Amino acid sequence: MKSFTIKSIIIIAVFSLLQNKISAQVINWKKNSKQNKHLLHINSGGEYGITAGIGYHRLVPAKKNPLWLGGEFSMPLGNELADDLKVKLGAQIRLAAFNYFQFSARVQGVSRRYHNQSVTLFNFGSDFAGTLGYYRKHWFLGVEAGFDKAIVTHFKHSDWYKNNIYDNVQDGWYEPATGGNFYYGLQGGYSIKKTDITLKAGKLLQQDFQSQPLLPFFGQLGLNFRF
Amino acid sequence: MKKSFTIYLTFIIISVFSFSCSKERYIDAPGNLVPKTVEQNSALPSISVNGALLHSEAFGPEDSTLIICIHGGPGGDYRYMLNCKTLATKGYRVVFYDQRGAGLSQRFSKSWYKSQGRDAINRIFYDELRGVIAHYKTSASQKVILIGQSWGAMLATGYTGKYPNEINGLIVAEPGGLKWNDVVDYVSESRSFKLWGETLNDATYIDQFMTGKEAQHEILDYKAGLMGTTNAIVGDLGSDLGNNAPPYVASRTGAVVNAASYELGQDTKPDFSAGINLFSKKVLFVYSSNNKAYPDSWVSRIAAAYPNKEIFKAQGVGHSGMFDQVNFWTTTMEPKVISYIQSL
Repeated sequence: MKSFTIKSIIIIAVFSLLQNKISAQVINWKKNSKQNKHLLHINSGGEYGITAGIGYHRLVPAKKNPLWLGGEFSMPLGNELADDLKVKLGAQIRLAAFNYFQFSARVQGVSRRYHNQSVTLFNFGSDFAGTLGYYRKHWFLGVEAGFDKAIVTHFKHSDWYKNNIYDNVQDGWYEPATGGNFYYGLQGGYSIKKTDITLKAGKLLQQDFQSQPLLPFFGQLGLNFRF
Repeated sequence: MKKSFTIYLTFIIISVFSFSCSKERYIDAPGNLVPKTVEQNSALPSISVNGALLHSEAFGPEDSTLIICIHGGPGGDYRYMLNCKTLATKGYRVVFYDQRGAGLSQRFSKSWYKSQGRDAINRIFYDELRGVIAHYKTSASQKVILIGQSWGAMLATGYTGKYPNEINGLIVAEPGGLKWNDVVDYVSESRSFKLWGETLNDATYIDQFMTGKEAQHEILDYKAGLMGTTNAIVGDLGSDLGNNAPPYVASRTGAVVNAASYELGQDTKPDFSAGINLFSKKVLFVYSSNNKAYPDSWVSRIAAAYPNKEIFKAQGVGHSGMFDQVNFWTTTMEPKVISYIQSL
């Protein structure tokens, strides 16, 4: 138990230092099993850019409210692969089940990094979501809605920005919240033995309920491996 | 297991909320991420035109030939054109202004732009330019030369077509297009993003870090400015103003006027070449060798609208380089401009 606890802290700490984020994992709750407590997943798709991600979750068994704990790392593609990153760490718990219908909630801490010629941003945020779905042993379909909040962001501008755009720009931590986006969409999957093929897609809306991000949609194709 | 879960949860909560006790600094506070406008900083040079406070300054003898420098965008600013300031030492009156909603000029809401209706381009940009000329013109006989770059060249062309008898000379540098379909084609060509490229992700990834409402100009301008700083397709790699740079660095993009103008363009399909056939004086048409989106074929297509013109290719520079590269300006462009004006 002690080793697991220390490992958990180390994993979280390393992820945090790497300035990453965990993103939502699509889970077939009907496939939970005490023999397969580990979930490794990979995904690719579009979410604020063309992204690829990998993650790990561990099942905390409970009769009524099984809980998945873990993290996910993703990054957008581009010429400089390591300059933009996102890590989410958190928990996803089943709150209610009625026959094949299940409702789950996800709470995650988010850390992300953005870098271009002008600025390097490092952000801490949160991601809360609820999913209502119909889960069978070999397939599932659900609707998800959530809110991704950028709570506090550090700005570090380049010399180029200061020499060409604005010399008196203020670097440092900015709060209160620097941004937030609602998202909603569909998710589903097909399960074969210990593998799930998952798909989710939806729409993004800024927190003022009027503006949209430049890429107002998201979509993700994923693979889950249970062991 | 319960203990590990508690530690896990505690760490997540602490990581999310641990910064809530530090000093507040707002992304939408004037001056934090983008420079203040003339409304927010009275020390900046400004003029009041058509109900808007514009960032503007002029150099050279007041009564001599007026040269109005018109910046690109919509939403850019005149800072990158400041090399033209040296024309003041050659005896000309050189005027710079940031268009409303752009640079350090006063901001307006998107709904204000949209409310101008089908005559919006005329009401927003032509009337403003007319007001700027009227502000600086000291006599009816004072000659007026327009120098426009990119969007500024489109605006200068449209204005000259509307008031051909009031303009004595026209220098246009790479107007993207003059008819709306050409404008759309040029914008598309000059900003094409590769799906897997860094440019696209730089543009889209930041939306999860900061979001702004329609009226939060500081946020919107900042985000727009991050994307508009360099563009390898058109050959712009940053300005070099040399000693012509002011003692402060303060450049700011107008995100709302940019977005609103594009939407207005889609709605009204403006023709910036209207009336330019009535302008019989020679036009100096400048384009650059390093702008991949402005090949010779495009020059032929766009320059065809001007009945009397001299076409000049600026070698070794990009879309803005004929003005924002001090060496090229000093050795090539300024002599060309002076020669053109003297030929009128």
